[in-house]
Amino acid sequence: MRRWWSWLAALVPFVLGLGLALLLQSGSLPNPVLYLEADLGTILLLVGLLLSGGVVGLVATRSRARRRLRQAVTEEQEESAEAHRRFVRRLDHELKNPLTAMRIGLANLADTPPASEQREVLESLETQAERLGRLVADLRKLIEVEARPMERVPVDVGELLEEAVELARQQSAAADRHLLLNVPRAPWPLPPVSGDRDLLFLAIYNLLDNALKFTRDEDRLEIRAFEDGTTIVVEVADTGPGVPDEELPHIFEELYRGQGARGIEGSGLGLALVKAVVEQHGGRAGVRSRSGQGTVFTLRLPTSS
Amino acid sequence: MVEEKPRILLVDDEVAITSNLGPFLERAGFAVQVAGDGEAALDRLESFDPHLIVLDVLMPKLDGREVCRRLRAAGNWTPILMLTQVGEATERAMTLEEGADDYLNKPFDPHELVARIRAVLRRARPGAPRLAGAERLACGPFVLDRTARRVLLAGHELPLTPKAVALLDYLMTHPHELLSRERLLDAVWGYDYPVGTRAVDMRIAELRKHLQDDPDEPEYIETVLGQGYIFVGQLEVMP
Repeated sequence: MRRWWSWLAALVPFVLGLGLALLLQSGSLPNPVLYLEADLGTILLLVGLLLSGGVVGLVATRSRARRRLRQAVTEEQEESAEAHRRFVRRLDHELKNPLTAMRIGLANLADTPPASEQREVLESLETQAERLGRLVADLRKLIEVEARPMERVPVDVGELLEEAVELARQQSAAADRHLLLNVPRAPWPLPPVSGDRDLLFLAIYNLLDNALKFTRDEDRLEIRAFEDGTTIVVEVADTGPGVPDEELPHIFEELYRGQGARGIEGSGLGLALVKAVVEQHGGRAGVRSRSGQGTVFTLRLPTSS
Repeated sequence: MVEEKPRILLVDDEVAITSNLGPFLERAGFAVQVAGDGEAALDRLESFDPHLIVLDVLMPKLDGREVCRRLRAAGNWTPILMLTQVGEATERAMTLEEGADDYLNKPFDPHELVARIRAVLRRARPGAPRLAGAERLACGPFVLDRTARRVLLAGHELPLTPKAVALLDYLMTHPHELLSRERLLDAVWGYDYPVGTRAVDMRIAELRKHLQDDPDEPEYIETVLGQGYIFVGQLEVMP
């Protein structure tokens, strides 16, 4: 639509000129003969100006077209991300009522002492209802992170890593693995990241927790951070069994569990949460892995300066 | 004389929930009536005269929030315990501002609901200050401005983080109640995760520092070792 108008606008000077010429030719207006005189320099200057004007116009149109295309792509991406968020929200919502009713029903049953053979069934049902409850809680966490406005304060990522590693060392699995932390202090410490300290801690701890879960005794875990231009890169690397190539693109998806994750406890939402937190901070989460050699998770966080 | 059972009006459109929860609450020692939507709840109020309303947020016809708003606007201060659905922190903050006394997220543990009902009923004793819906709460030299979300100490605004203010808000509107770190996380942070209890301790430390509250001889926030925190200050509702 807009395109037609701009073509029409371009035609206006021509149509005006044509009209005036016709009037002059027909004799209804006096049509004097004009003699123009110009030196070569002036003529070249005018020709140059005209050509430049044409080129500028052409470049402007093309870059606008490119911008429009880019905008359409981002809009589409945003729309599909939003549709996805809506779906997760609905899922969370639809699970809540039946789950609440189940838990109350089970509590009612538990109040009337059941026969011994029923007690076992009841306990198993309670365990499963609790498990579903945890899943709903984790979904909610994810929605919260994506939907709510974030607190922004300067966060010292180095300090955060030290605290997270200290906490991870308290896990029994940590005793059998080699944990190494490397945070640069020289020539200068890491610049701060502007964001929500608690959420960043959660993201980093989730990665450590994951690494502990998916490695074996005597494996090495290296946690490091460094500055790269205007971003801080956090890496959690391990010498574990690695992730098969075909699973890598899905590893940050909600509820995705690879072959290696069967039998390992978890909601399937931990890495999705890591990704959501990092993206809320304007950063990116990535992963590289070699089967049989190990895995490295990378978080890139823009610094506040 | 036999003490009268507290009357609870249970409002939810999910029959699966009310048919299970009604008997559960009755066994816990309450007299229960059920309403299936907001309008039915308002109709039932006069004849039943409940001590407390358990109110679901999402309902057809009249939702829980609107019921709460209408009651408060009409000067009815029957304690309300809201059952929230969407579970977003902003929604919860709104719920409290609109005059609900407490809220619980679905799916909840029914024993937790009974504990909360008892706590709200205890708080709602006649003569006790009406904390839900209060705009400003004072405690000794400091004032919590709940609408502007800030804290003033001797007239000066304290440089607190938004989360610390929200935490203080929850503590002050649930005084003399033992609040576990998990519950505070759920209420203020909107999520409860295994390592988050540390985050609560950090914000409590922030509050204590700015309020000049000595943890060994607390005037406002008391630590219950291994369990959580209690707000012990004397509260005053300011006009």
